[in-house]
Amino acid sequence: MVRLATEVGSLQLKNPILAASGTFGYGLDLLDFCPPEALGAVVTKGLSPKPRAGNPTPRIVETPAGMINSIGLQNIGVEAFCTDVLPTLRQRKACVVVNVFGETEEEYATVIERLQREEGIAAYELNVSCPNVHKGGMEFGHDPKLLRSLVAALRPLTQRPLWVKLSPNAPSPLAVAEAAVTAGADALTLVNTFRALSVNARTRRPSIATGFGGLSGPAIKPLALRLVWEVHRAIPQAPLVGIGGIMSGTDAVEFLLAGASAVQVGTATFRNPNACLTVLAELEAFCQQEGVEDVRELVGGLVWP
Amino acid sequence: MDARVDQKAVLVARSQLSPRCFALDLVCPRPLPAQPGQFVMVGVSATSDPLLRRPFSVAGVMPTENGAQFQLLVKEVGKVTAMLRHLPLGSEVGVLGPLGRGFSLDSCGPHPVLVAGGIGLPPVLFAARQLQKQGVSFDLFYGAASEPELLLRSEIQKVVSGDAVFCTDDGSFGESVFVTDLLRKRWKSRYSHLLACGPNPMLHAVARLAREKGVAAELSLEEPMACGVGVCLGCVVKLADGTYAPSCQKGPVFRASELAEGW
Repeated sequence: MVRLATEVGSLQLKNPILAASGTFGYGLDLLDFCPPEALGAVVTKGLSPKPRAGNPTPRIVETPAGMINSIGLQNIGVEAFCTDVLPTLRQRKACVVVNVFGETEEEYATVIERLQREEGIAAYELNVSCPNVHKGGMEFGHDPKLLRSLVAALRPLTQRPLWVKLSPNAPSPLAVAEAAVTAGADALTLVNTFRALSVNARTRRPSIATGFGGLSGPAIKPLALRLVWEVHRAIPQAPLVGIGGIMSGTDAVEFLLAGASAVQVGTATFRNPNACLTVLAELEAFCQQEGVEDVRELVGGLVWP
Repeated sequence: MDARVDQKAVLVARSQLSPRCFALDLVCPRPLPAQPGQFVMVGVSATSDPLLRRPFSVAGVMPTENGAQFQLLVKEVGKVTAMLRHLPLGSEVGVLGPLGRGFSLDSCGPHPVLVAGGIGLPPVLFAARQLQKQGVSFDLFYGAASEPELLLRSEIQKVVSGDAVFCTDDGSFGESVFVTDLLRKRWKSRYSHLLACGPNPMLHAVARLAREKGVAAELSLEEPMACGVGVCLGCVVKLADGTYAPSCQKGPVFRASELAEGW
């Protein structure tokens, strides 16, 4: 019997497999394949104070072992989430991490203040790393000063854990990670998508409407692992949530070894709507085969040469 | 809620219909209660490349004892369609479906007209097969670039109770004309509803014609899709109210009146 329960900072999770923001709707869209309560947590699509229409089309293109997206944070807005979605998630006893997005510090605060009036939210994940919006998002995630100010401003608004989802595109991801932790972040999610470009040779235009987009999928796994390990080594006390191209239980193990306390499965859900559950089952099978009794033994266990 | 399931289907037959198009017959162990216009996400890869499934409109489905046999019409345009073309008979593919919103055949009146362009044929053919079963009389217009790309002509003629009209861009079969121009020329006042699938310029022309004639049109759109189940928001289409709707859930069949100008 493998113990799968784990924790990210003070937050207890029944297992270390989470559904990543932007790949699982608001938690109730894939009930017939993957009920949210079966997972360590579900991270919602990024919520802004008001609904957002998102970017023009085409928004996605497949690339070798990956895909580039530029959705532009299309979402129903925090109010509709609280009214239409959250009650059912609560009823199902799902562990809900709400991904929060704003164009300004005030907008992040607006979303959190609204969510503070609701029960049944386990943590917030600040999206400071979306490469596909003009204002907000990645601006904060690239500049340690701006991020420190944002996290410090939001910290007093809530006792709930504040996670910060970091951009791999920052000039110095490590400096940004340190800034977030210093300002009071409880955990870091590593990493969001890599800014990327796909070109259509025949039209001589980018494949997607906004030109650049964010690359996800197995193609980025080694890059994401590298960042998780670097941040873990530099700030060993900071709880990390690993994400980037996880398709299998072994992939999840690799992120745990690199220092993540839990992992998020994203693009894999697009390929298989029950991907989170298969990753979870494979993780458990791996632990059984390898004699790992407690999944937490794996965290940070990478033997560096 | 949904009848959608993820299952393995076995490829039982493939027939080449043109230099680049072929029909696949697949058998799946569980029911696949697809309606005309609905689609399935097909996965052929055990590796990360290709990574995602591809959406294919269902061309026809027949229940078997416990499951179903269904048909897809495929044009080779890329990696996944090339794999499907060379996949040995007896191979398994992942099939997730049925997905999306199909044509509303129950409300298309006494004499609908169906329009297909190129590899937009599958949902139109499925609708024709269904209307024939329901005893509804209808006409079908089908255009393609050239004669070899006009697929399954004799079958279409058998299925269509009214006129089956074919044309090609280059005049190698039927009139040398765009199918929408031909439809305009031969428009009948008794047409009660219009169902169409084809390239976007064709669908734009169909929508304009339907509006002029005061007839409701339903259009089956094609968008690149990652998930097919409404969570990636990659396949959205712009609606008349300015919002974006995922075509995998709100479509792929939309009423022309729902869509933004030029979507």
